Amino acid sequence: MKSRLFFWAAMVLVIPVILAGCTEVVKVGTSVGQEMGAISKEDKEKIDRMALETEKAARPMTEQEEYYLGRAVAATILGKYRVYSNENSARYINEVGQAVALASDRPFTYGGYHFVILDTDEVNALSCPGGIIFITRGMLKKAQNEEELAAILAHEVGHVNHKDGVGAIQRARWVEVVTLLGSEAAKKVSGADLAKLLSLFEGSVNDVVKTLLVSGYSRDQEAAADLSALTFLYRLGYDPQGLTDFMEELAKEQTGGAGQGLFATHPGMTERLAKARSVIAENKWLQTVHPARDRRFQQATG
Amino acid sequence: MKKKVWVILLGLLMMTSVAMAETVRVITQEAMIRKDKRFFAPIVIRVPYGETIQELERKGDWLRVRYQGKQGWIHISAVQEQKFELSSLSTEKATEASQEEVSLAGKGFTPEVEKAFRDKNPKMRYDLVDQIQTIRIEDAQLQAFIRAGNLKEPGGEP
Repeated sequence: MKSRLFFWAAMVLVIPVILAGCTEVVKVGTSVGQEMGAISKEDKEKIDRMALETEKAARPMTEQEEYYLGRAVAATILGKYRVYSNENSARYINEVGQAVALASDRPFTYGGYHFVILDTDEVNALSCPGGIIFITRGMLKKAQNEEELAAILAHEVGHVNHKDGVGAIQRARWVEVVTLLGSEAAKKVSGADLAKLLSLFEGSVNDVVKTLLVSGYSRDQEAAADLSALTFLYRLGYDPQGLTDFMEELAKEQTGGAGQGLFATHPGMTERLAKARSVIAENKWLQTVHPARDRRFQQATG
Repeated sequence: MKKKVWVILLGLLMMTSVAMAETVRVITQEAMIRKDKRFFAPIVIRVPYGETIQELERKGDWLRVRYQGKQGWIHISAVQEQKFELSSLSTEKATEASQEEVSLAGKGFTPEVEKAFRDKNPKMRYDLVDQIQTIRIEDAQLQAFIRAGNLKEPGGEP
């Protein structure tokens, strides 16, 4: 009786850990529980097995699925904003962006990286899962040189590298997708299942769009994207101070209370700035700015 | 006793040869096998999504591979390692294998789901997304851009 009670108590504690995807943590916990005599060997095995099954159920999204999710997110955003169609500027931000993406930790995604200018005065930059990246004209106007533009794009590439967009999908929703599909390979989804899958897809797209446009990523995710951006810039030979220079400008405005959109989705600029500065100083990541870069930046954006 | 040692050695040898014949699968729409382990090295052959490639050696983020009789280098972010299907030995391994990128192709968020989503939401600007995804910066153009800006070519040997 006592051991039953312990078993269920253990399950209550274990389920959140399982849902967090930490099978190994569960295993350590159940081993301790078994040694202490709180649960039997059979119960330990049962809990471990459940943890493994649940973790498997929440398999990561494939590159191809991320691509289709990203297309839907981009299609939604493009339903709200117009594309700024200036061939020169479009080619230039794609050159800077592609170079940054190649210097990133995930140079290739299923559909590759694509950079787009949105025709709005709002100051913002967004990355869709899979690698479609938006920068607004308002944001582009704020960048002073190529280093700063590269820094903005590198930060967004950082989010794609970390799959932050995919991570915005509610976990329970994704578990439902995987459960719906079952473990049978190459099962064709049709009828009611397709309708259900469509509604889960819509929900997932919504989760991502809401995060990108309204709620924003966590401070930790932003800080991680900053750190990646600094690394990519340095690898490519840009001065990583491009990031801190740009953040400094934004931080000034943030204290002034202007430009709601970006700051609602990019919190804590002052703290992030301090962190980025210390990373540059620790690594002695200083490089010279090249005049040719300034010239082409002016030509393409001026 | 001696016989046992030979059996073990033979077993080890077989395991090594299995490990050496490792394969990887392409997980991008199209991947390039290049002559050298650099992003801008000449392209030896283009490989479509889902194809299996034989891995010969790994150096940093690059794999030397063989595909359709041709050899070259491919970046690790364009491929996924294959797990061996030991389904008869372990159900756990079998499930792992079934969760590989390619075996999941055609399931989950697929073109079929996208089509249903588009039909239901005609305001979505998929036309623009399609346009955006056709923008390509050719190797030579990007390489020239990097050089003209006095930047460093990424992705070479560390």
